[in-house]
Amino acid sequence: MAVVDPGKLSLQNSVLTVAQLERTPSEEDGIPKALENELRALGCELIQSAGILLRLPQVAMATAQVLLQRYYYMASLKLASVRDIAMGAVFLASKVEETPRKIKDIINVFAWLIDQYRDVTPRVESYAGLQYNGFKDGLASGEMRILCKLGFNVQVQQPHGFMINYMQSLDIAENEELAQTAWNYLNDGLRTNIYVCYQPSTIACAAIFLSARVHKVKLPTEPPWWEVFDTDLEDMTYISGHLLNLYQRPPRKGLPLTLAELESYNYDALPS
Amino acid sequence: MASAADKYIRLEKLGEGTYATVYKGKSRQTGEILALKEINLDAEEGAPSTAIREISLMKELRHPNIVRLHDVIHTEKTLTLVFEYMDQDLKKYMDGLGTNGMIMPFTAKSFMFQLLKGIAFCHENRVLHRDLKPQNLLINSLGELKLGDFGLARAFGIPVNTFSNEVVTLWYRAPDVLLGSRNYSTSIDIWSAGCIFAEMFSGKPLFPGKTNEDQLFKIFKLLGTPDETVWPRVGELPEYKTNWPVYPRQNLIMKIPTLDYTGIELLSRMLQYDPNQRITAKDALNHVFFTELHRSQYGQSGSQQFRPAGIPTPIMTPIGHTAGFPAGMQQQIQQQIQQPQHMPHQLYAQQVQQLQQMQQPGGAPMLTASQMAAMQGMDGSGNMGGFIGQ
Ligand SMILES: Nc1ncnc2c1ncn2[C@@H]1O[C@H](COP(=O)(O)OP(=O)(O)O)[C@@H](O)[C@H]1O
Ligand SMILES: [Mg+2]
Repeated sequence: MAVVDPGKLSLQNSVLTVAQLERTPSEEDGIPKALENELRALGCELIQSAGILLRLPQVAMATAQVLLQRYYYMASLKLASVRDIAMGAVFLASKVEETPRKIKDIINVFAWLIDQYRDVTPRVESYAGLQYNGFKDGLASGEMRILCKLGFNVQVQQPHGFMINYMQSLDIAENEELAQTAWNYLNDGLRTNIYVCYQPSTIACAAIFLSARVHKVKLPTEPPWWEVFDTDLEDMTYISGHLLNLYQRPPRKGLPLTLAELESYNYDALPS
Repeated sequence: MASAADKYIRLEKLGEGTYATVYKGKSRQTGEILALKEINLDAEEGAPSTAIREISLMKELRHPNIVRLHDVIHTEKTLTLVFEYMDQDLKKYMDGLGTNGMIMPFTAKSFMFQLLKGIAFCHENRVLHRDLKPQNLLINSLGELKLGDFGLARAFGIPVNTFSNEVVTLWYRAPDVLLGSRNYSTSIDIWSAGCIFAEMFSGKPLFPGKTNEDQLFKIFKLLGTPDETVWPRVGELPEYKTNWPVYPRQNLIMKIPTLDYTGIELLSRMLQYDPNQRITAKDALNHVFFTELHRSQYGQSGSQQFRPAGIPTPIMTPIGHTAGFPAGMQQQIQQQIQQPQHMPHQLYAQQVQQLQQMQQPGGAPMLTASQMAAMQGMDGSGNMGGFIGQ
């Protein structure tokens, strides 16, 4: 595989350039934007569900999802499938966050989730059988692809800690409903591209902002509380829009999870 | 597929660590001498977490007291990390000294200062090293010391994460970690640095424990068995025992007679039981112990510890040994001469001997104190702030 120049990608928390965001490698490869977004969201959903089954801490699931999002800004969906990158991301993130999981367990969980997604009765397949089906190679190459494409830039600063700190300083950390809703926004937001567009502090503010609206909790306006945390209203509104949008979208069935499926996938099946 | 051999000529072996072998190498393109750290990839483990950590963190950390990572080459079976070349590690250097491992006070002070500068930079950048020990500190003939081996390092965020307990070689492990604490922070590196500080001045490891308990008792025998007065809430730590033997605190000077009063004071600030009371790297750098360095070196050449390589240094005739001496060291020696109160003549002769030994590859055997694999023993119960996902 390619030589990595460790100096090339430098992302404390990668906020990508507008050019990178506007035209992704998959689009260059002729994959419609709508399909790409669906596949990113599906990959993240698989990661989140797998993480729960694998009893990973949320921070590891969050890191894995950010890695998948970052990866597909660097490489096309035609190069590595969502299944492989999602598995590789879980494997990698479990190591980065010091809660490693075994290859075998990750593969089993993914095989089961994918069967569920496809509405087939989950097969009880032997580990050897799964290896044969390309799960194991997929996971291993998925991990290496992520490492190489991101130049090993796999440290992800999460907004969760910021959010807890901010809520404590706003004296609303005790409000459990508000806290839980905001926490959920952070986790659901992983399926959008906000984590590659904004710094974690801004995302944390947006989650509090939205949750406070939902629960009708008044926060200080003079000066506006978010300014204290170095965030502006415009960014928060944009992130909120993305988050709310997420809830209106039904999960789509039948999306292509492997390269072979993508190859034969009828793009017209998606509304543009 | 680009292999390391396409870009670098592999020369002799420099050292072996816990998960990698390090070779001297030469760039085919520029002729530059480098260090090649080769890590074998294992199909069941995927990319080793040590390598993931080391690369992802070291590429971010650029500082004169941190070994520079220049390149990473990945092939199917190996991962090669290309580092700036250093002459040897501090362990081999100390083993090779004819002075029972004792480093000359001025050199030791300078090394300590540089060690703290490297640590301060890591901590400013939210990185814990977690495996500071002489084998992982690299020195060169310019008298520079740099932090290496970030295989156990960890980025830390704002939230108090629960971390792995399997960090830091036993001898340099902080008492809070030994007692099972998992929410340690920057203070664990300070403890290790304190142990190294003492070792450089005495020539012997400060707490060479054999087991977890032996390690604790070695600490207790010197610093006294801790209780709530010196260490509030020590009783809440998982491994706390009420039936520990009660040892009184000894005077540190007894253990490290070569260290002056200010040095002992600084050391005791680094070896505080209560992690919250341990001095920070930044404050340690401003300690009076280092005033001499600030005056003699910072006053002259800004942020350079030593005269940079390549700038000719006047040859010192009185000794007659100076040809081939490292430039930085020569300047250092000169300063010593100008300040005879710090460097009596017979010590000076020893310093010369040390420098000569430094030029030779260290032949002494390396200790194989077992480094801890950070991946072991995790239960996955870590979470943030008690919330649950979705
Ligand atoms: N840049 C370097 N220059 C010279 N020697 C080095 C360098 N890096 C490592 N070494 C030698 O190799 C040994 C092992 O390297 P290290 O990075 O600590 O590997 P490990 O993580 O396996 O312990 C060190 O103790 C040192 O002796
Ligand atoms: Mg080492």
